[in-house]
Amino acid sequence: MASVNYYEKGGDVLISHHGKKSKCKWINLLVVAGMVLTAWPMLPPTPLMAADYAISGASDTILRMKTTIDDKDIYPLYEYLRFSVASREQDGSTISLHLGGWGRADLGDKSSRNDNVDGDLQFGYLSFQGAKNNFVFNAGRQFVVEGVAAQRLDGLYVRSDLAAGFAVAAYAGSPVVTEPNLLADDFVGGARVTHSDKKYYTIGISALKSLQGGDRYREEEGVDLWLQPIKQVDITGSSSYNSITNGWMEHAYTASFAPVDNLRLYADLSRINYQDYFFRVTTSALVFNPLTNGIDPNERLLALGAGGSFTVLKNLTVAADYRHYDYDVAREANYFGGKLSYWVPESFGAGLSVHRMDGHDDRLEYTEYRLFAMKKAGKADLTLDVIDLYYDSKARMNDDRNSVTVVAAGSYGLNPALRLGASVDYSNNPFFDDELKGLVKLTYLFDVNRSAEGRTTREK
Amino acid sequence: MKNSKFLLIAVAALLAGILGACANTASVARIHPEAVKGLPNCTECHTDTWGALNHQAPDFMIKHKIYAGSKFACASCHEESFCSDCHAHKEEIKPSDKYFNSPERSLPHRGDYLSQHKIDGRINPASCVKCHGRQNNERCLSCHR
Repeated sequence: MASVNYYEKGGDVLISHHGKKSKCKWINLLVVAGMVLTAWPMLPPTPLMAADYAISGASDTILRMKTTIDDKDIYPLYEYLRFSVASREQDGSTISLHLGGWGRADLGDKSSRNDNVDGDLQFGYLSFQGAKNNFVFNAGRQFVVEGVAAQRLDGLYVRSDLAAGFAVAAYAGSPVVTEPNLLADDFVGGARVTHSDKKYYTIGISALKSLQGGDRYREEEGVDLWLQPIKQVDITGSSSYNSITNGWMEHAYTASFAPVDNLRLYADLSRINYQDYFFRVTTSALVFNPLTNGIDPNERLLALGAGGSFTVLKNLTVAADYRHYDYDVAREANYFGGKLSYWVPESFGAGLSVHRMDGHDDRLEYTEYRLFAMKKAGKADLTLDVIDLYYDSKARMNDDRNSVTVVAAGSYGLNPALRLGASVDYSNNPFFDDELKGLVKLTYLFDVNRSAEGRTTREK
Repeated sequence: MKNSKFLLIAVAALLAGILGACANTASVARIHPEAVKGLPNCTECHTDTWGALNHQAPDFMIKHKIYAGSKFACASCHEESFCSDCHAHKEEIKPSDKYFNSPERSLPHRGDYLSQHKIDGRINPASCVKCHGRQNNERCLSCHR
């Protein structure tokens, strides 16, 4: 049976506990630092003058400008910083330290409900990666994706290939969660075992268990697969089971077929049982409460989709997609459309798409148009993006039918390491007649050869 | 009971250690040997399983969770911060705003998402949970109290 944990004080539901969170934040940071320092001696001894060292990182300084729905002029200034230092040992293994986080200061009115200044440590971990067996040992704040787990945690993670095609991964630590309404877990641990044939498949079984004050909070088990029975076919999917509610949370499978290089077709199926899937969330927006437009525990969704893309000429692609949504409680809906795009990497690109949502609800009857273009010339690039949603009825959309957003942006490389960009975002939508937003971004790369994704050259 | 659990974990760790010692597979390259920009079509070079990671495929976003089970391979091209841009603990800037000069990317919440989130929340609220169920949901409180 599903349960929720509101904080209650004197009969009133206390929907936030930022005082506690603030304290927890510093405790968590200390825990992360402690784990990193504790893990260091566990790593293999490193010669002081080991083979290759590399330090790299990036700084993104971002200023946003906008007027909020309650007429506040906000100018939050952000600094996103990521940093890594890696040492490649003579045996081919690597020891590295990765840190990333952001901070924000409000230059105008308060941009959030909380403080004028805020920030977050997104990740911070020490890693050892072996030359053999894809061995990885991480200690600190990290994002773990292993079967049923897609979990950020302050803790330890280890994985390794084993003999005969097997591999194993395990993790344990304190979940990194936000708790605006409901208490979350305070310990999480789990493991995944896979068996692979490099040419044909990887099949995994996984389990996750978490505790809140010693009590069961989440217990999930799952299977996941990645099959390539023949080169042209690629099948992925997973099923997850909730051992506390004793029900399947989700089945999600996708099959792709690429008979020739310029044609790709796919079909996907997703089955979600709300009672089991929404069992543990920490925001009131997603708790079981059908009376306030919350989640109906009796609902079950079956989504069936199909689509494909065909490259007509070099760089010119036409694509189509269709998805049918079927529910046990709500009425069904269909979403379908197409896209035409022309894309020459690092030079020019443009695209046009039209999609239609067709459902038995005023909100679910609309047409969506998108037109975008990008041009790169020398050190500069320019981008235009227009998105328009036209609702059949204005009854459920603040008495408005149309929502249009136009984004114009550009950036210029001042030198190989420094890039300045800006975007202006205009919108006329059910909430704003004329909304204007601006963003200025200055990017500085410590390693001048890295790309936008943060690809490093530390082993060059 | 406690002893049997400890014994089970110790035996499993020992077994894993022995199997690991016997594996002797070469690790995936820490850094992708060829520089790749934009959305790569991995089939241009890879004729094996890695070709499936074609980032231009229309179903890549649906499938990337499964591919991320081999995160050590993703790390050949992507830093940890690339995951954090969307899968964040706390985040105040939409991915599409951060990557304003990449309209070709499949990024969530483009355009007027204040209106659109009501529709997505009705169509498939489970898609919200993956990023906002237990993380990055403080802003929900602005309206959902």
